[in-house]
Amino acid sequence: MTWLWPQGQPIVVVANDRADPVQFTWQGGAHRVSGITRHWRVDLGWWQGRVWRDYFKLSTDTGLLVIIYRDLTQNEWYLQRLYD
Amino acid sequence: MSHQPSPPAYAELHCHSCFSLLDGASAPADLAAQAAALGLPALALTDHDAVYGTPRFLRAAQAAGIQPILGAELTLAGGYHLTLLVENEAGWHNLCYLISRARHTAPKGEALLTPDELIGCSGGLIALSGCRQGEVAAALRRDDRPAALAAARRYRELFGPANFYIELQRHRRPEEAYLIPRLTALASYLGLECVATNNVHYATPDRRRLQDVLVCIRHHTTLDQAVHLCRPNSEYYLKSPGQMAALFAGQPAAVANTLRLAERCRFQLNYGLQDLPHFPTPHGMSAAAYLRRLCTEALPARYPGAAAAVRRQMIYELEVIERAGLSNYFLLVWDMVRFALAAGIGCQGRGSAANSLVAYLLGISPIDPLVHDLVFERFLSSERQAAPDIDLDFDAARREEVIQYIYERYGAAHTAMACTFVTFQRRSALRDVGKALGLAPEVVAAALAAAAETDETEKEASSSLAYLQELAGQLTDFPRHLGIHAGGMVITGRPLMGRVPTEPATMPERVVVQWDKEALEEVGLVKIDILGLRMLSALSEALTHIPADADGQPVAALPTTFDDPAVYAMISRADTIGVFQVESRAQAQMLPRLQPRSFADLVVAISLIRPGPIQGNMVHPYLRRRLGVEPVSYAHPLLEGALAETLGVILFQEQVLKVARDLAGFSPGQGEQLRRALGAKRATAAIEQFRQAFLAGAAAKGVSETTAAAVFEQLKAFGGYAFAKSHAAAFAVLVYQSAWLKQYHLAAFYTGLLNNQPMGFWNAAVLVNEARRQGLTVQPVDIAASQAGCVVEEGGVRLGFNYVKGLGVETTARLLATRAQTPFASLADFQRRVRPSRRAAERLILAGAMDGWGLPRRQLLWELGSLYLGEPELELVFPTPAVDLPPLTAVAAMLAEQEALGLSTGEHIMSFYQLWLAARGILGSRQLTACAAGQFVQLAGLLVVHQAPPTANGFHFLTLEDGDGLSNVIVRPAVYTRCAPAIRAAPLLVAAGVVQRQDGVVNLLAERITALPEVS
Repeated sequence: MTWLWPQGQPIVVVANDRADPVQFTWQGGAHRVSGITRHWRVDLGWWQGRVWRDYFKLSTDTGLLVIIYRDLTQNEWYLQRLYD
Repeated sequence: MSHQPSPPAYAELHCHSCFSLLDGASAPADLAAQAAALGLPALALTDHDAVYGTPRFLRAAQAAGIQPILGAELTLAGGYHLTLLVENEAGWHNLCYLISRARHTAPKGEALLTPDELIGCSGGLIALSGCRQGEVAAALRRDDRPAALAAARRYRELFGPANFYIELQRHRRPEEAYLIPRLTALASYLGLECVATNNVHYATPDRRRLQDVLVCIRHHTTLDQAVHLCRPNSEYYLKSPGQMAALFAGQPAAVANTLRLAERCRFQLNYGLQDLPHFPTPHGMSAAAYLRRLCTEALPARYPGAAAAVRRQMIYELEVIERAGLSNYFLLVWDMVRFALAAGIGCQGRGSAANSLVAYLLGISPIDPLVHDLVFERFLSSERQAAPDIDLDFDAARREEVIQYIYERYGAAHTAMACTFVTFQRRSALRDVGKALGLAPEVVAAALAAAAETDETEKEASSSLAYLQELAGQLTDFPRHLGIHAGGMVITGRPLMGRVPTEPATMPERVVVQWDKEALEEVGLVKIDILGLRMLSALSEALTHIPADADGQPVAALPTTFDDPAVYAMISRADTIGVFQVESRAQAQMLPRLQPRSFADLVVAISLIRPGPIQGNMVHPYLRRRLGVEPVSYAHPLLEGALAETLGVILFQEQVLKVARDLAGFSPGQGEQLRRALGAKRATAAIEQFRQAFLAGAAAKGVSETTAAAVFEQLKAFGGYAFAKSHAAAFAVLVYQSAWLKQYHLAAFYTGLLNNQPMGFWNAAVLVNEARRQGLTVQPVDIAASQAGCVVEEGGVRLGFNYVKGLGVETTARLLATRAQTPFASLADFQRRVRPSRRAAERLILAGAMDGWGLPRRQLLWELGSLYLGEPELELVFPTPAVDLPPLTAVAAMLAEQEALGLSTGEHIMSFYQLWLAARGILGSRQLTACAAGQFVQLAGLLVVHQAPPTANGFHFLTLEDGDGLSNVIVRPAVYTRCAPAIRAAPLLVAAGVVQRQDGVVNLLAERITALPEVS
């Protein structure tokens, strides 16, 4: 089962100096990143509304497997997908 | 011992420029500059199946101080890509061969190679496995490990393990998480090395937008529909060594390998005279010896009783030519000229070759350099190692014969034309970007209209329109596709395929090299310009129309001495319509003031009316100084040597070099670079560099900065858009010869011109009117008397069938053949035997070509209609009633003739207005010439020329014609804005304004312009 938030769930992220996330807080719970399995960048739709995001598929020490992204135009983080 | 970690180092080995047509989004120069700014020591240019951009890239890399690496990305069967880098000469030859082969087997503009075709052509090349579309990566992406291994093994065998690298790219795409480990695993399994590249498609991330748009243009689609075609992010830009090292932190060797490969790829292009074919000399003589023999043999004819001085000059030139290794080149050029002259094809050399006695002796140049004070060192000197510059002009109508001769003589494998890059213009860029953005056609049309009206780009509220303007601006001047250069031919001794890539041209059987004229010059690959000049065709033809003289001898040749006062007198009164180069409105304004009296004056005349001298404000000072109204002066005494011959102004191209040399100590090479920069469209930065060097050089010679800066400003305004003196001299020969024809053989002169239109400044209608004003009878087209082309008949001109629109060559041939048997008895007879289209038959009637039966034109038209009515198979008899049609009015007949032929041999249209104009006190051209300066008058005429040259700051120049001649009307910008609708709407105008007179030239400075009402 997968939870998907098309608009993204706002989260608070702590990132290292390479801008990779090391921990995020979602719904009051802190989740430390245990491994990043994929990382990709999307930059699309510049002519009508730019979608410019760094995506991370990662696992946490709390046992979550998630996709989160940083919106590079606003510099805000969102949780997009949670694999159950 | 402290150990500083060395900064990361990286060379980019996979980079596309805008010469990856409709894919790369940055020019080679921008890529080279950005690479240097990022601290890359080397950059490879790997455009798709092409080396189009190589010469520009080499120059840019040199300017930026980085090492250029040559290469290309080949497209293989299956759509796979393979990156190739050139290590050495053999590699370059193989790359050229592979690209040529790929291009010649694929449809125009595409390329395709089967893997087998690489066999035997891999030497000297280093192959990288390519982007995600490389055969290895593509197989791994679809999880086909055996196919990936097989492909990698095949390439390893083909190129050798030291010359085949697995290419790794990181663009932050999701697939890289598995693709990179798979590629590195495969590499180590096969004992291959990896190399990191970024598959660059633009210099900086912001250019990504243009790249998306290029993809859309290529696929004829819009951004909204091209999401799957465009790249998912903006990561395909030139990245710094630090960025690449961070991206490939796990594969440091792949980054380090970029430098090892760059170190290996130090090949430099080296073209030159050795690439030309060897001219087959008799008895195996050396080229130099044979050239000497040809010149010696020609000496007595050119210089009867040749003086020792002539012989000395010849021997001196031959020695310089031999030392420069140019003897063979001269023989090749001589051979083309010899062929043309033997075949009766008009031909003459232009360019700096006219400075050479040897070129004159060989018949390459029409100018005797000794008589005309042309200095050989300007063509060739021992200290200047410049590529030779001989351009040949041929009779335009027969140029193709010369090209065919060259193809046959040297073989198709050794002969090709230079290409041209058809580039995006502001308008086409707006149109194509607009389509890609999905803008409505009306929106794009509005932007186009705005672009046409003004240059000011308003800050648009809508972001789409802002993008439209921005991206169209970036796209302007990008190459779009290839064309054939009109005359630049490349001929090589060894087959072309291995020397420079070639590809099929749009014209069947024609092949172009992948470099345009500029690029060929840049790399030093010698081209020979085989140009077509319609004036040469007109002159050759005119000779054939000159009636035999009293002894029955035809006039065999045009004059080659240029000293007839009558010819100069005619030119001085600006009686020059139809004469080469000096017939324009601007020339006609200038000639009465210049009063040319000698050949040298003609050289000046055609050099004065050029954008350079006009923009540089040289014209009026020159004329004033020549008339003695103003003293000859120099901005600095050092300039006297360079500018004395032109009374202190800069007139000729080579004077830029001399001024730079004498005032600022520039070497000839630097001077030449300066001249090119001044002539280039967007070279502001380069010009500023030259300016600094110029000021410094001048200061070293003790010239004040103010003076040096002022002279440089003059050079800048001059801009390099000028004739070289030798070039002007070659053209001046044609000025004289065409003027001579006009002076002595008026009918033949106009006949030659009329049969070689379009050419020159005036259209055929003006030529015919002018001929009639000079008392020549111009007879209309007549089905009983006309020939295919215009001919001389009873001392006048008889118009030919070539002026009947839509009649066509075949119908004309049929007409002439059947007429030779029996004259045409009637319209029905004509129609039955000639079978012209109905439109063409109508035009013949309206042009008066069937007046010979004595029937009114209207009745003939009626008859024609009934002939067509009777045509259907129905066996109905249509009575042809003898209708009583009123004849056409004279005006209607004249207008119909104009429509059918594009000109009229009857009354000038303005003659129908005579009474009307006289009643209102409106003048014609003849009356205007009698007016005093300052008088306010009204003038009427037919608008035949409307000019708004960019050098005229918004002024418009109108030429109005009536039965008596031409008048000049000057329209100030404000007046033009007010009167533009009237000027655009009607060809018959009334201009009201003030008469200006100067040195015999009369102009009307208009205050108001209105349209004439229609007459009936």
